[in-house]
Amino acid sequence: MALSTTVSQSQRVKRKAPRGFLKRVLKRQKPHLRLETNCDLLVHLNCLLFIRRLAEEARTDACKNKCGIIKDQHVLAAAKVMLKKSRG
Amino acid sequence: MADNYIPDNEPTTRTLLRRVLDTEVLRTPRRPQSTRTGAQKTLLETPFSMRLRSQTKTTARRHAHRTKSIGRLAHIQTSGHLKEQTPRTLLENILLTAPESSMVMPQPMVKPVSASQVVQFSSQESSPSSLELQLPELKPPTTLAASLLPSGKRKKRLKLSVFQQGMDQGLSLSQGPLTEPQGNAVSSALISSLNLTFVTPLLPQSVQRPGLARRPPTHRAVDVGAFLKELQDNSVALALPGDRTPVATLPTDTLLEDTQPFSQPLLGRSPSVYHSPPYPSLSAERNVSRRTRSSGPGLQNNSPGKPAQLLVGKAEEVNALAMGFPNTSNSISGEDELEPLQDGIGEEAEKIMEESLSMSEMKEAAGAQGSARAEEPETHTDVIETEGSSGDTEAKEAEPEGSSGDKDPADRTASPELASNTPEFLQARQLEFLELAPPTNTAVGLFRQQFIPAPSLSSEPLEPLSARLPSRVQTAGSRLRQDPYKTGLSHYAKLFRFYAKMPMEKKALEMVEKCLDKYFQRLCDDLDVFAAHASRKTVKLEDLELLMRRQGLVTDQVSLHVLVERHLPLEYRKLLIPCAFSGNAVFPAQ
Repeated sequence: MALSTTVSQSQRVKRKAPRGFLKRVLKRQKPHLRLETNCDLLVHLNCLLFIRRLAEEARTDACKNKCGIIKDQHVLAAAKVMLKKSRG
Repeated sequence: MADNYIPDNEPTTRTLLRRVLDTEVLRTPRRPQSTRTGAQKTLLETPFSMRLRSQTKTTARRHAHRTKSIGRLAHIQTSGHLKEQTPRTLLENILLTAPESSMVMPQPMVKPVSASQVVQFSSQESSPSSLELQLPELKPPTTLAASLLPSGKRKKRLKLSVFQQGMDQGLSLSQGPLTEPQGNAVSSALISSLNLTFVTPLLPQSVQRPGLARRPPTHRAVDVGAFLKELQDNSVALALPGDRTPVATLPTDTLLEDTQPFSQPLLGRSPSVYHSPPYPSLSAERNVSRRTRSSGPGLQNNSPGKPAQLLVGKAEEVNALAMGFPNTSNSISGEDELEPLQDGIGEEAEKIMEESLSMSEMKEAAGAQGSARAEEPETHTDVIETEGSSGDTEAKEAEPEGSSGDKDPADRTASPELASNTPEFLQARQLEFLELAPPTNTAVGLFRQQFIPAPSLSSEPLEPLSARLPSRVQTAGSRLRQDPYKTGLSHYAKLFRFYAKMPMEKKALEMVEKCLDKYFQRLCDDLDVFAAHASRKTVKLEDLELLMRRQGLVTDQVSLHVLVERHLPLEYRKLLIPCAFSGNAVFPAQ
């Protein structure tokens, strides 16, 4: 489990999953549930994909409004769509 | 004739200078002082300025050449007259002529006085020739001419500056008796000290000239209004300055000697050595700089002299302190130079606009002191805020000050010793409010010190703010940091920033965190439902795969493993995707 960091484009992004955080989140919300081994990684993956979609949606929204900067309203509009799509 | 020359000579500074000289020459005969020419010629031969005289001759030739090229013989003669007449007359003429086009003229008397004083002081400080101060008036013209000429040879910019200085000096000479060594002082200052500093201010000067004429009237109007308002406040203030005078003067002298060749020393020393006339002029300038606020005190101070010195000295102090900082040194020095050179009021206004950093600080210092005298913290803050009108930098400064105003009462209650912990400018404030005695001067100095860099660096003003409110901010920050949930959300928010590949607002990031919060809630609910549906209490990989399938992330074309390979680093992939290893072992075991 060496720490893996990759240089992605201009910015260095931490690719390490906050596994403890993910486990704790589930534990806090559903104390009676326990995560199977490595399930937190899939949660992490799911979260990554969600954020990715959200970001892309927000970006397109911002571009649609001819705005060079992603504003909160763009994120809000994207969130409405993506939260609906990411319903289980 | 001047008009004719102008178009021809526009391109270079040298030509500009020449043009100015020509215009002056043309008008000099009209002036009463032109009669002196013969006497001054005799003066030229004084031992003091042998080489200078030679230089002047060369310059005269040059002028003649130029005029010839223009095709006017009469001009040659006039130019000769000019050299003979001494730069003083020339300079005066220039000043007079310039106002003709502009409205600056109304107060020629005050401005020349200030210039003369400045020059005197500078001469004292910078040059060893201080002994020569007592020489008769006649000499100065030669020295001035010499200084003008060499400068012209050196650099174009220097020429302009020197020339203008010479103009001012000429004025001062006509009015002030003891200004003889000016030429030496100027030359020495130029050569030895700060060529660069001279250069920077000079260009704006030349440009500003026309502008100067326009601006002054507005300033005066402001001054008048302010004056009426602040007479009352100043009356209180005037009583105090007497105590401060020694303190203020001493620091200024020490500091100024180190840094400034030119004007600052003048102010500090003026009280002891020189007569009163300069003070009113200086105070008038100060008033202008302070705009509404300071005008009142300055005018009052004119008559006593000492209070004026105080104000000026303090302002100079600030300047001297500012000199310490490399960034601001240039601009400030430029100011100092400009003061003597320019007519004062109008010029200062422009300076304020351009060099809002230093000037605003000066103003604030003055304003702060004035308010301190008034002994009303609230009014003090208001005044400062009102003053910070011109530039963004000022606005920035106003911010911290305004906020500090709130804190002032608390600081006041605290003892000065405790205040040491607080940022310096707060201390200064405290001191001002608590005690108007001598310490205030030093405190003001510190205050200035802290503030001078602030305008240049936008981040500076924020510093004191944060320092001031350390407890609250830290508590809030610590809480944020302590909350792991928020940190995790922020981690994913950073990922959002990465995926967005676009600049984002901070609000947007906050919004993303909110979305993530909702997302996790829903995720947990879903997983709970899935596990409960399978009558399990453990969330398995299948549940997550199902979830992702329902979310449309995993499809028949794109399997979960593909997603893992795409988005997760190798370490995690090994954990998630079963793979055969040596020994026919599969890990992770399915």
